[in-house]
Amino acid sequence: MALLEQAPKMIQLIHVSKQYDQRLALSDVTFEIGKGEFVLLMGPSGAGKSTLLRMLIGAERPDEGQIFVHQKNVTALKSSDVPYLRRKVGTVFQDFRLLPKKSVFDNVALPLLVQGISPADIRRKVTEALRAVGVEHKRDQLPAALSTGEQQRVCIARAIVNGPVVLLADEPTGNLDPALTSEIIELFKLINARGTTVVVATHDPLVMAQVNRRVLTLSQGRLLPEQRVLG
Amino acid sequence: MVAILTTAFTLACVGVFLLLYVNLRAAAGWLQDDIKIMVYLDERLASDSVAEVEQHLRADRAVASLLFISKEQALGEFKAQFPSESHLLDGLGQNPLPASFVVALNPSFRSVDAIKRWAERVRQIAGVSKVDYNQDWIDALATVIRSIELVAIGIGVILSAAAVTIIANTIRLTLFARRDEIAILRLIGATTIFIRVPYLMEGAVLGALGSTLSLVMLKFMYELFRQQMRTTGRFAGLDNLIAFFPPSVCLALVAVGMGLGVAGSFVSIRRFGEAKA
Repeated sequence: MALLEQAPKMIQLIHVSKQYDQRLALSDVTFEIGKGEFVLLMGPSGAGKSTLLRMLIGAERPDEGQIFVHQKNVTALKSSDVPYLRRKVGTVFQDFRLLPKKSVFDNVALPLLVQGISPADIRRKVTEALRAVGVEHKRDQLPAALSTGEQQRVCIARAIVNGPVVLLADEPTGNLDPALTSEIIELFKLINARGTTVVVATHDPLVMAQVNRRVLTLSQGRLLPEQRVLG
Repeated sequence: MVAILTTAFTLACVGVFLLLYVNLRAAAGWLQDDIKIMVYLDERLASDSVAEVEQHLRADRAVASLLFISKEQALGEFKAQFPSESHLLDGLGQNPLPASFVVALNPSFRSVDAIKRWAERVRQIAGVSKVDYNQDWIDALATVIRSIELVAIGIGVILSAAAVTIIANTIRLTLFARRDEIAILRLIGATTIFIRVPYLMEGAVLGALGSTLSLVMLKFMYELFRQQMRTTGRFAGLDNLIAFFPPSVCLALVAVGMGLGVAGSFVSIRRFGEAKA
């Protein structure tokens, strides 16, 4: 825990609970993630991983407790301020969520476009992001023309094109085979090495073995005692 | 395209009533312009007192024109209009007809209430015996105008609501088709305004195109109607009196269509929900 105490906090959950109808999604969850950490959020389907990630970007609000991201109290954030939080937090989805009628370039440019960034800067930043994930040569293609691995790379490029302080990934390898999983995990490690805090939610033991970092485990909405694997 | 056409038809219905209203109102205006008010003078009013009354009336800013009719002129006119009855007056020995002023009022004083107020005031002037105008006719006209106004407003409101609903439904379909895109935009940090503006613009364009098309349809129908009147020869001369909307009203109608479009898409966006992400 010494390392965690030294690093400034990037994400902090304090006694967070959330219930949907009669089902408890999260129960009294408390943890901190320091700046620059790479954390795995493990647990079976329905353990509350996705709910937790959605709370970090203000898409869900907890019934109880408080959440801080990059020193912002997300629970107290006005809905008009939520977009500005999301610009600091990149998100990668299992189903990629790429716009099918837009080219790879346009998909990656989207987060910059909504901020009113100049076309020249958009060109430069998108090219950098596509190069970082290794799909620069596919820039003019439509998502449907790409392999699943490439689509996930484009999704990652879209998540990092803004230079976010945190990168959240919800089951990013759920649709990928083991070889592609390794590639994507390496990409996350690379992004983390550049200073971005990375949180990957997964139920895939293969990912845990490859990442070899701090693991937070959720089971039926509760956080289990922490295991730390130092690589 | 279907939305533009349906909006156009709906707005054209509003336009027909508006056109009818504008033309009837104009017709009522001409009739009201023709109203002359008779200010009868006391039987034995000295000529300098007549001059005083005249001065008084001339100084009145409500008065547009003034025509003096002396007792003799009144008698002459009576005889000219009713030659067979002129012997009735001859029998009286003296001229019983009073001298009078025929007054036309300025346009801003031609409303029913203004005429009434003006007549009351003039009745108080010394030397004036009676102020006469065709009150029944003016009242009837005012009632007709008010009724048309009410009907036009009622129909306008109902059909405008219909136009808003049509546009709202069109935008809702677009929003539904693009729900994934909207969800993604929200997740990557697009503000509500950024997401809403394109749909509000779409509503504005739909409304503007719809109202422009409705004006084209109306103009076409209007020309057809005039043509019909000319060829059949009925209501001769009336075809030159009916008028289409002036350009400023056309522009205002396009702006109203635009406003209805924006309102329609706003309704849809609100119903579609704020956070779908």
